[in-house]
Amino acid sequence: MGFSELLSTYGEKYLQGLLATWSMTAVSFVFVMVLAVLVTVARVSPYRPLRVVGDLYVQVFRNIPGVALLIIIAYALPELRIVLDWRTCVIVTTILLGSAFGSENFMSGINTIGVGQIEAARSLGLSFTQIIGKIVIPQALRTTVLPMTNLLIAVMLTTALGSQVPLNPQELTGVVSYINTRETGGILTFLISALCYVGTAFLISFAGNRLDKRVRILR
Amino acid sequence: MADMSTGKRSAGSVPVIELRHVDKHFGDLHVLRDINLSVSRGEVVVVIGPSGSGKSTMCRTINRLETIDSGEILIEGEPLPQEGRELVRMRAELGMVFQQFNLFSHMTILDNVTLGPREVLGVSKDEAEKRAMELLSRVGVAEQAHKVPAQLSGGQQQRAAIARSLAMRPKAMMFDEPTSALDPEMINEVLDVMVELARGGMTMVVVTHEMSFARRVADRVVFMADGAIVEEGSPDEFFDRPRTQRAREFLDSIKGH
Repeated sequence: MGFSELLSTYGEKYLQGLLATWSMTAVSFVFVMVLAVLVTVARVSPYRPLRVVGDLYVQVFRNIPGVALLIIIAYALPELRIVLDWRTCVIVTTILLGSAFGSENFMSGINTIGVGQIEAARSLGLSFTQIIGKIVIPQALRTTVLPMTNLLIAVMLTTALGSQVPLNPQELTGVVSYINTRETGGILTFLISALCYVGTAFLISFAGNRLDKRVRILR
Repeated sequence: MADMSTGKRSAGSVPVIELRHVDKHFGDLHVLRDINLSVSRGEVVVVIGPSGSGKSTMCRTINRLETIDSGEILIEGEPLPQEGRELVRMRAELGMVFQQFNLFSHMTILDNVTLGPREVLGVSKDEAEKRAMELLSRVGVAEQAHKVPAQLSGGQQQRAAIARSLAMRPKAMMFDEPTSALDPEMINEVLDVMVELARGGMTMVVVTHEMSFARRVADRVVFMADGAIVEEGSPDEFFDRPRTQRAREFLDSIKGH
């Protein structure tokens, strides 16, 4: 099956796949960032139990293969009477993995903030919460735009886990499996999806670079 | 070895800052040895001594950026709180100026100065900005108000940092080697601001190597070595007639500067 034939038969399917990938990526990334910030705040908090929980979270979810985590969420959680729909399973998996890596990015951003600035904030009488909200989070976010851009791309690629469960509509990689069980498209089937991923990643890194230049902190 | 006179103190008034028998170790290192110091309202105390003598550490214990092992620190007669809201409130009443300026690098100079008043004192944005501009004019960096710290020279940054502290209307200000990170030509612009503050009646503890500043402004010079206060007295007494061998050696070593 040739390129034009593939597109004419399955073009709409690919388009749906691209949109599904985009929407799962967007939803996941919002929660990835929120969770990454929360977990990191826990990791730098003055309360030891919170720090332990934060560190544990990162160690656990950074070190589990995505597929294994998806299987646990999709097939083991129902044993505990927690049944999520397939799309939610994929998104939750992506969020847990992504936020662990996001927290590590964020930590490295926090480490660029001089301890002197924190001491200055304490001297002014700012509370821990105020220091986190006004000094630490804004600076850490602004210095980690490029790593977070990479993370967004990784989050998008992680949504390919959706090909392992019955989604409707399917995302890009699921579309490839779907077509290849019906046609002999071979590598070409995959190439179309791959181009969609690469094109999206290109747009993301372009936007990320622009944003980085705008918000980067002069030192 | 130690001369523990508490310096001048107007009768009946409580010292703004008082350290009693303060001790501190960094591991095996005894960095503060039985420190007793009291600073009266409006007094300018200059702390000098060789590096590693504990003078910065002492300065930083006063608003608990460093904890102490034993002894007491009193602010206007009240013990310095250990932690929590009480400590935060007390810190807001003590200004601190650092060697490395420590301005918030993601904010404009104006935002640096208004952050404390707005967040801690609950001052409105307009009022905080009005007062910030007054202070920035006073220290001579009003034209830089809308720049970020990295766009300013070291001297300008340090003057902005002084304005940031002043914006909290502190009871006293600590200066931890405020000119040590500056190029020589910028030292005086910062010292001038400090001289003016001292003349305006601010209670100040200044850790510095600027002997001319000490002579000109200090009500009292405190000389520290090896974690202890070795000698203290008026600038004339100390510089012209040091009583201890340790102080004489130190003054000899810095002569010719």
